[in-house]
Amino acid sequence: MAKTIAGSEDRIAQSKGKTQTKDGKASSKAREEGHIPDFEEIESSAGFKDLMKKKKAFLIPTTILFLGLYLLFNIIISYTNLLDAKFIGDISWVWVFAFGLFAMTWILVTVYMKRAAKFDEMAWETLKEFNYDKEENR
Amino acid sequence: MNATVIIIFLIIVGMTLVITYFAAKRTNTTSDFYTAGGGLTGWQNGMAIAGDYLSAASFLGIAGSIALFGFDGFLFSIGYLVAYLVVLFVVAEPLRNLGKFTLADMINARFNAKKVRGAAALSSITIVIFYMIAQLVGAGALIQLLFGIDYLWAVLLVGIMMTIYVLFGGMTATSWVQIIKAVLLMVGTVILSFLVLQRFDFSILEMFAQVKTATPHGEAFLNPGVKYKIPLDTISLMLALVLGTAGLPHILMRFFTVRDAKTARSSVMWATWIVGIFYVMTIFLGFGAAAFVGSEKIISTNAAGNMAAPLLAQALGGDILMSFISAVAFATILAVVAGLVLSGASAFAHDIYGQIIKKGKATERQQMLAARYASVGVAVLSILLAIFAQSLNVAFLVSLAFCIAASANLPVIVYTIFWKKFNTTGAVSAILTGLISALVLVSISPSVMNPEAGAAILTGNPIFPLTNPAIVSIPLGFIGGLVGTLVSKESDLKRFAEVKVRANTGGFRQL
Repeated sequence: MAKTIAGSEDRIAQSKGKTQTKDGKASSKAREEGHIPDFEEIESSAGFKDLMKKKKAFLIPTTILFLGLYLLFNIIISYTNLLDAKFIGDISWVWVFAFGLFAMTWILVTVYMKRAAKFDEMAWETLKEFNYDKEENR
Repeated sequence: MNATVIIIFLIIVGMTLVITYFAAKRTNTTSDFYTAGGGLTGWQNGMAIAGDYLSAASFLGIAGSIALFGFDGFLFSIGYLVAYLVVLFVVAEPLRNLGKFTLADMINARFNAKKVRGAAALSSITIVIFYMIAQLVGAGALIQLLFGIDYLWAVLLVGIMMTIYVLFGGMTATSWVQIIKAVLLMVGTVILSFLVLQRFDFSILEMFAQVKTATPHGEAFLNPGVKYKIPLDTISLMLALVLGTAGLPHILMRFFTVRDAKTARSSVMWATWIVGIFYVMTIFLGFGAAAFVGSEKIISTNAAGNMAAPLLAQALGGDILMSFISAVAFATILAVVAGLVLSGASAFAHDIYGQIIKKGKATERQQMLAARYASVGVAVLSILLAIFAQSLNVAFLVSLAFCIAASANLPVIVYTIFWKKFNTTGAVSAILTGLISALVLVSISPSVMNPEAGAAILTGNPIFPLTNPAIVSIPLGFIGGLVGTLVSKESDLKRFAEVKVRANTGGFRQL
């Protein structure tokens, strides 16, 4: 059974042309094997809903925050001279803000890595609930 | 040109050819060819993404821009880096979970309609061609300067080399060339930055104080406004940069070279750190070049400032360092254009030939042949275009590619993943509205129409006032998708449930 082969190359080769579930041989074959999951059932499960809620609670505000700060920075430097004031020596505030955006990027990436590991765990739990936690469903 | 330059060049080029040789032996299937068999690890792919990103435009262009315009040159770096958050938060994981080889695959996880795939392939190819011309024109100018050969020969040299990498080694070779180049680029930049800082006694304050007296702009050099004077234009350009990365085909394609969403995520993390640290160092390169080379010499060597970094290397480290930096720049250009050829070829061979014409029924052999023919086709086409586009402004072409990516690809990605009611008509109209509006607005903008004869392609008063139309075309792309969806009213909630579950759990990849 090709599906049980763990090597990713084999799996990808096997899945050729099978990315579309609704038609083609792939899905009918999968259905015979009892592999067609009820996605609506998974979607409406408490575990999955909780995952989506937690994901959104993190991603939406954070995305608004970083895009907002980035745009704010560009608006300030384009329309005003507010940031031209000196911070220390000849270094003006504009460099400080710019580095703030660099630091923000690195911090958010690191924070997200931690969060995403938790999201992965939640996703795994949900799949387990529906008995889709085998390697072949990954 | 001396013996040292030639030897260092030959070593670096030879190294990349050895990689291609070994990669070629392992490239047997389309999956090997397009995605290195999906077997890259997080750091490997992260380095390769960083490598794809740190193109000649970044390395030579930003260093030169900072040297000539100070803070305004650095503005690009900020947008390019923050863009990774959009990639990480919005596109990386769903793309890996839903897709296989191309962006169109991912959108097709929700709508398997030929017209959607065709539209997605069209926008990818358009972006790749513009980006490609920009890289090749830049490469031609650089090689012309370094070797003292004709522009035509320079473009041909780069073009033939990149075709060899792609044709024989596919994604495996391209990735490893990219990884090695990223390491060399970082090493070169660290050495140069160290030498610059040494001259300022390792004091950043001292560097700022001295550089202000070294440029013709004086105090203004350290603040924004030297280069970008029209507020709305600046904001539009910065929007294109921050949102465009998440729609660039050659970056998106990198997420198919890893085995799961977790690895895709960690590759973005690696890329963010590498790219970020690199951009911080471009300040030292730029300031160093302004102080120790001088803007007069930088401009006289290359009006756009592209030679600032190599000239700085020569001023601080002599011919050997200059040869090294130039060789790295050369490898950079080769690796980036090779990645671009691959992403263009995948849109042609996989999406248009394999899925639309052959309806997914092509044999492995046919697919491989198509991929290789398409690679040669994309390479030849872009070499020809680059030869005719010699006088075009490279920075303009790059920002246009980012603008199309943000307007045509990003809206459809976001809607596909997040919007329940989104449908086939919406997907096609989102892509086409974004693509067409970006192209039309640019063609009537000051970048193409300039009242001063010879300053742009056409002479005349621009109809659209902004040089980069992102601030208009991105919302238009989103509105296009919205209107298309609402007009046609069809929707498949069941399919969306599937996409949602698959995108968010990473399960059911092989369906």
